Amino acid sequence: MIVSKENSPLVKSRKTKSELKEKKDSGGEEEKEERTWAERSEEIPIDSATDDEAWPIFSISRRPGRLQRLHLLAAWIELQEAFLSALVSDNGDVMEEEIRGPVETGGSTSTFNTARISRKGSFKIDRTLRELGSGLSDILGDEGVANTSDGDGSSNDGGGDLSEGDQSESEEFAQGVEESDSSEDEVAPRNTIGDVPFEWYKDEEHIGYNISGKKLKKKERQDKLDSFLASADDPNGWRKVMDEPNDEVVQLTKQEVKMICKVLKGKAPHKDFDPYSPYIDWFKMDAKHPLSSAPEPKRRFVLSKWENEKVVKLVRAIRKGLIKFDKPKEKPGVYDLWGDDSSSMEKAGHGLAYIPAPKPKLPGHEESYNPSLEYIPTQEEINSYQLLFEEDRPKFIPKQVVIHLHLLRFTSLRSVPAYENYVKESFERCLDLYMCPRARKKRINIDPESLKPKLPSRKDLKPYPTICYLEYRGHTGPVMSISTESSGQWIASGSSDGTVRIWEVETGRCLRVWELGEPVHHVSWNPSSDIPILAVSAGLDVFLLNAGLEDEERKMINKLLHIETSMAPDDTGKISSIVSWDQDDNHGGIRLKHFKTVSSVEWHRKGDYFSTVMPSDILSLCIMWLSEEPKSKGRFSFLSPISTLFCIHILSLTCLLRESRAILIHQLSKKSTQRIPFKLHGLPVSSAFHPTRSVFFVSTKKNVRVYDLLKQKLIKKLETGAREVSSIAIHPGGDNVIVGTREGKMCWFDMDLSSQPYRILKCHSKDINSVAFHRSYPLFASCSDDSTAYIFHGMVYSDLNQNPLVVPLEILRGHASSNGRGVMDCKFHPRQPWLFTAGADSVIKLFCH
Amino acid sequence: FSASSLSSEAQKRGVGQRNSYSSVFYGDVDMDEDVEGNSRLVYVRFVTKLDDPFKVPDTQLGLPSNITRLGLSTVVNNVLQSGPSFYSARLLPFDVLRVPVIDFRRDNWRHEPFDFLINGELVRMSLEEFLLAKGISAEKVLEIEYIKAVAPRKQEEPSFHDDWVSAVDGSNPGFILTGCYDALGRVWKAAGLYVENDTGALVATASKDKTLRLWMFDAEESRGDPTKIRAYKTLRGHNASVQSIAAQPSGDMVCSGSWDCRINLWQTKESDAGASVSIKKRKKGSHDGESQSEGEPVSTLVGHTQCVSSVVWPQHGTIYSASWDHSIRRWDAETGNESLNTCCSDSSSSLDPIDSAVLIFCGKVINCIDIGGESSALIAAGGSDPILRIWDPRKPGSSAPIFQFSSHASWISACKWHKDSWFHLLSASYDGKIMLWDLRTAWPLAVIDSHEDKVLCADWWKGDSVISGGVDSKLCISSEISVK
Repeated sequence: MIVSKENSPLVKSRKTKSELKEKKDSGGEEEKEERTWAERSEEIPIDSATDDEAWPIFSISRRPGRLQRLHLLAAWIELQEAFLSALVSDNGDVMEEEIRGPVETGGSTSTFNTARISRKGSFKIDRTLRELGSGLSDILGDEGVANTSDGDGSSNDGGGDLSEGDQSESEEFAQGVEESDSSEDEVAPRNTIGDVPFEWYKDEEHIGYNISGKKLKKKERQDKLDSFLASADDPNGWRKVMDEPNDEVVQLTKQEVKMICKVLKGKAPHKDFDPYSPYIDWFKMDAKHPLSSAPEPKRRFVLSKWENEKVVKLVRAIRKGLIKFDKPKEKPGVYDLWGDDSSSMEKAGHGLAYIPAPKPKLPGHEESYNPSLEYIPTQEEINSYQLLFEEDRPKFIPKQVVIHLHLLRFTSLRSVPAYENYVKESFERCLDLYMCPRARKKRINIDPESLKPKLPSRKDLKPYPTICYLEYRGHTGPVMSISTESSGQWIASGSSDGTVRIWEVETGRCLRVWELGEPVHHVSWNPSSDIPILAVSAGLDVFLLNAGLEDEERKMINKLLHIETSMAPDDTGKISSIVSWDQDDNHGGIRLKHFKTVSSVEWHRKGDYFSTVMPSDILSLCIMWLSEEPKSKGRFSFLSPISTLFCIHILSLTCLLRESRAILIHQLSKKSTQRIPFKLHGLPVSSAFHPTRSVFFVSTKKNVRVYDLLKQKLIKKLETGAREVSSIAIHPGGDNVIVGTREGKMCWFDMDLSSQPYRILKCHSKDINSVAFHRSYPLFASCSDDSTAYIFHGMVYSDLNQNPLVVPLEILRGHASSNGRGVMDCKFHPRQPWLFTAGADSVIKLFCH
Repeated sequence: FSASSLSSEAQKRGVGQRNSYSSVFYGDVDMDEDVEGNSRLVYVRFVTKLDDPFKVPDTQLGLPSNITRLGLSTVVNNVLQSGPSFYSARLLPFDVLRVPVIDFRRDNWRHEPFDFLINGELVRMSLEEFLLAKGISAEKVLEIEYIKAVAPRKQEEPSFHDDWVSAVDGSNPGFILTGCYDALGRVWKAAGLYVENDTGALVATASKDKTLRLWMFDAEESRGDPTKIRAYKTLRGHNASVQSIAAQPSGDMVCSGSWDCRINLWQTKESDAGASVSIKKRKKGSHDGESQSEGEPVSTLVGHTQCVSSVVWPQHGTIYSASWDHSIRRWDAETGNESLNTCCSDSSSSLDPIDSAVLIFCGKVINCIDIGGESSALIAAGGSDPILRIWDPRKPGSSAPIFQFSSHASWISACKWHKDSWFHLLSASYDGKIMLWDLRTAWPLAVIDSHEDKVLCADWWKGDSVISGGVDSKLCISSEISVK
């Protein structure tokens, strides 16, 4: 108990100066002190049953030798019990005397409460712990066991020093105990006799006095035998203990019994007590609460002398090079030759990536020399392998030996012949290793669907032409060009058989035919509905024909197509050499004689102006000349080389002029012709008028030039990037242009965006012959020599932030190819989502929605 | 002998017959078992609205369920052929049965094809499939109504024209009017007979020369030689070729639809002509000779945005028009008249746009339209696709057609309701076929395949014939069609 107070925080605060002093001075006497503590712990194997304080009583049990002594103590208790039991049988009083006698041992004078133990319900043992201590020493002394006598001796030695301190300690402690008792025990002690020995009342009839000073009578004592019998009858009798000062029998509770048992066993009485709790050093210098508030002394952070010496030594060693800092390199270790390649693949860090050689398949059961029956193929299976592809065939077919006409497996490895494919397979393996790819192929896993642009569904973009219901038959040669009348009731077509026809759209009725005699290149309806005039380019001429749809009464067309012969020379002036306006009575129209083949005729939207393009292709012209020559001048055929030279000469002359004369603009009302005042770079292919403004498009072979006719200057040059442009079409809005090229590409230009194509649509496998925009529906089409026409959805938004939407919709087939030419021209119906296509197979088809 | 032949006939068709009073079997018992082994029997009773020679007695017959229309027709014919004796013999004992049958038998019975209606729908597959498809119980006695099959039984000799036949009209039972691409209108008395004149009639023609002409000829004179007559009146007012023409039922007025997107109303009243017949005709080329009296439109209906391809004037005050702008419009001709009255001087007063309502927006170009069917209210129209559509404008929100017939292969050039039937109509198509339709089935009743090229026009004539003209310059008449 005394010892434990050092560990107890409660006691600590009450430490006296003397104690501190003692502690400080303890340096040399440590051993001694320990000894005394050890003794005390022997003396006080316990504690107080009344005293419930959970003080760690045995916290010093860590000290060496203590456990041993406790065992001794327990042994002694057992001995004593045996002794007592013997005594009791003789005389209870003797025992009582013995037990009760207060004995002083060592220097400790503190009184201990009595512990009452009843064991096996037969004895009442009442004794003080101090008796235990003395008894122990007696017994030990008697038996001469252990060297505790030394301890005793030493305690006696040091007794002089410690007696005072100990005494004062114990006194204080007693106070503390009383205080804690009063605080914890709610029932006040009913001791009526005061602090006097029991012997004093031994022979009295009373024991103590009550509050008013009257004697309290002793209760009637049962004699030992009675009480023994009573307790034998009572199942709880063994728990009952006589409380002498209060003169009553107390029944111990279960906890109390347990506690007593624990004490008897030499353990801490309280079960929660941890005898091995870590030691807390309350007196360290750097503890939270330093004992001294003095500043840190300098010596704490100044190197000591020997440390200094050591540093100097190290420095010298480093300077001499005895200590090296860089670590020695590790030798390349062994590697796993047979390890899995996958690990070595991970190893490959930088430089050339290591690609493991492909692994051959490990042999399986079927390759055993003596495989199980199920691995052996039957003859049918072997035959069926022959039908498989080389790759699918199993590589190895178990072999069998034929012995006495029986198919047998090899009975032993010895009988297995040499593998006939060994050399071949080794070679192939080497080849595999040699030929295996040495570059790592980066494979990107992208869903191809995700790369497709998000386009609206075709269903949502209806209507568009899909099916052909009507055909217009009548031409005998390839239909080169078609043109729709502005109302959509009629179409005109020109064919290389030299005819121009007008068809009724609804029924397919051919209304009118003109025989022009020369292959027709281009036909074009006047876009004005009031002036049903056809412009037809055939050979070197351009005809303006009256379609005959006008009222007979109104002779406007006739007037328009009438040329006063007197006027003609005046008008033409110097251009007369290029174009001459003549009345053509055969066909009821005007004939404009050009000096070269006119490839296309385009009307201005108002129907007064029209432009003609003479591409003046040298080669084609030559071929034309040459092809015509033998017919016309058959007998001079020997002159053909000369005439060829001649025509080339002429052509070279015209080529000089072509820049100014290749494209002409004619005015119908004035019957006049003018050149465009721009210099063309390249061969002109086709031309077009802007649908709303006075802008003129000329496409040369490489690019498209956009001119402003009023300001007479070049606005823009659209770079197609194509080898040869074949056709051009202007969106009715005027800001978008599509260009068809000879290599099957179609370029969509958004003139607001750039001069580069906004979209290039590569759809046709052969030349695109014509492209067309629909006047009102967001549709455009292209037709090509591969006998197909493509329909696209081409939506142009009025919102400038939105780019045009181009969606391919439909491939229209049906035309037959003729002489390598397919669909020569395509035109949309002006009001319906229908497409007319003119084929080289001399048929015009109408595709409806 | 004949009874046995009948039984052999029944055997061939697999017909087991039984009535409700006693079991009468035509044929051997084992044969009957065969039939029952093959398929289930369905008990039917035939009813009809036809008159006596085509009435069968009210008996129950057990027919194999896989019997088709042809089989049904044969059964009915056989029953009819056996004559009224069948009815009387029903009560006779089995042995006596065969004898009296011979006596009352109609020996000169002509086989008549029939069509069969179950719950108002024409049977077009085997009876079993039909019942399954329609969810009709085969347990009950089926009541099958039969009508005469609507199909041409006779193909008249075609009448050749000089050019494509662009228009036919059969509204007058006395004669047929045709228009032709050779700029002539022709009046035909009957197939093969080319007669210019007939009973006093007023004929209006429309032409691609942007005019309408009124013609009158005397019906009494009948000469053997074709004669030429002149139009007594030319109506000018259109700016483009006139595509269609329709006459008011009373004959007082004519309306015409043209490529200039307008519908003009014209007065024909000056003359006191009796019957007025209109004909659509496309004509081109010069019209020689002196000009006759000229007329101007009394009213113009503006609203269409493209060629007015077809006009019909079924009732006094209502005009329906179809156009290439994909719409069908209904015009109130009465308000047109009123507005005409209020501003008499203005000859070309146009109707308010309110008066016209877009009835139907089709999405396809419409070439032909006709009003008819149930209480003359259904609109049939065909156009630039092979589907003949029928709308019911009385239905609220009737944007979708109530019927679609799509057996044609190309554009539909003409469609006409039968005048007296609620169910029958014909359609002509560029695929060279004329089809007869019944609203009660989705299959064509009959396909007339007499033309070799596009059929441009077709009409009913005299209620039992179909007249048609086409690119092959023929006027074909398919007659003896028994529509009720």
